[in-house]
Amino acid sequence: MNPIAMTYIEGPVVEEEVRFTLVELCQACSAEEEHVLAWVFEGVLEPAGSSPQDWRFSGESLRRARLALRLSQDLEINPPGVALALDLLDEIAALRARLQRAGVR
Amino acid sequence: MKFKDYYEILGLTRSATQDEVKHAYRKLARKYHPDVSKDPDAEARFKELGEAYAVLKDPEKRAAYDQIGSQWKAGQDFQPPPGWDTGFEFSGGDFGAGPGGEHSDFFEALFGHHFGTGQRGHMRAQGQDHHAKVQIDLLDAYRGAQRSIALRMPELDAEGRVALQERKLDVSIPKGIRAGQHLRLTGQGAPGLGGGAAGDLYLEIVFKPDPKFRADGRDVYANLPLAPWEAALGAAVMAPTPEGPVRLTIPPGSVAGRQLRLKGRGIPGTPPGDLYVVLTIALPPADSEAAREAYRAMAEAFDFNPRQALEE
Repeated sequence: MNPIAMTYIEGPVVEEEVRFTLVELCQACSAEEEHVLAWVFEGVLEPAGSSPQDWRFSGESLRRARLALRLSQDLEINPPGVALALDLLDEIAALRARLQRAGVR
Repeated sequence: MKFKDYYEILGLTRSATQDEVKHAYRKLARKYHPDVSKDPDAEARFKELGEAYAVLKDPEKRAAYDQIGSQWKAGQDFQPPPGWDTGFEFSGGDFGAGPGGEHSDFFEALFGHHFGTGQRGHMRAQGQDHHAKVQIDLLDAYRGAQRSIALRMPELDAEGRVALQERKLDVSIPKGIRAGQHLRLTGQGAPGLGGGAAGDLYLEIVFKPDPKFRADGRDVYANLPLAPWEAALGAAVMAPTPEGPVRLTIPPGSVAGRQLRLKGRGIPGTPPGDLYVVLTIALPPADSEAAREAYRAMAEAFDFNPRQALEE
């Protein structure tokens, strides 16, 4: 009698193995193309490639794009504001990591 | 259900102008937005704020809410009186789930039945991608793991209303995964429409808080308390690692805060992370005559003024 084999779903690690085209990124974070274009313009996202059709976004872009979308929708922030907010949040995260490494609770 | 006082939630009086409603919401939304606030209640409060704002910013809904609201206090048991909203006309949109994804029972009771009809027609479209967070142990990142996870996803039901569906999924967690990374599970998102492909599910990995270890990327940090003589004279001690204790040589003359690196004992990868042991000095308590004697002898043995620099 064969035991029932469990199938565990696998998937690639986005930050290491996945790159997105513009259309794919819009789909993945449910954002309109015009928003993603605005964020690229502001430097929030930095795809490789010379034109929107050629753009390839790193896997890390998924997290940034979703965060940008939440901030812009929930707090009604414009793209330059979103860019500043993301930079500041990155800095806060880096500072928190330093405190954590030093054992400060 | 309990009555929700939307004015109280936004810190407003009932005579607040529409401008005041907007300003109050914006200020509180900035404060409690889950991406900005570390408050454990932030997400719940933010949802509540969004709901209050959705009702009070819309003159139609606000008028309807004011009609009942004046007789109840927040937290009281509440049922909407039958026909309470006759004479009010709610124009189409803006009943979609707010930023939080779903509404409270209270909101549903008052406004829920006015939902739009949801998606219909013969469109063929790819299903939406979904996102969820999953908590794993640090050791799961070291070894890989297979986990059964429960997800609650907001879905549109047949009437186009947003409801939370419970789902169980058996997922393979790869070795070497780091906190904040996502796994893409193809086809596990929302079903497609009209025969279109299902969307994908993105799982964000979060580590459960661990009393001994903290992860920073692939590097892992652990505090190691030492006795004063171990730090001063050096010692061989057992240091904790997520895969079990290892023998560590403490160099003589170590001070509090010194970090010793165990190369390659962090989260696996190319290259693997390192484990940093952060030394702390623990003072033995002076809780017996023998202990106090030992401390007095120590005071005699050293010519030591730790406040030298302050006195110059």
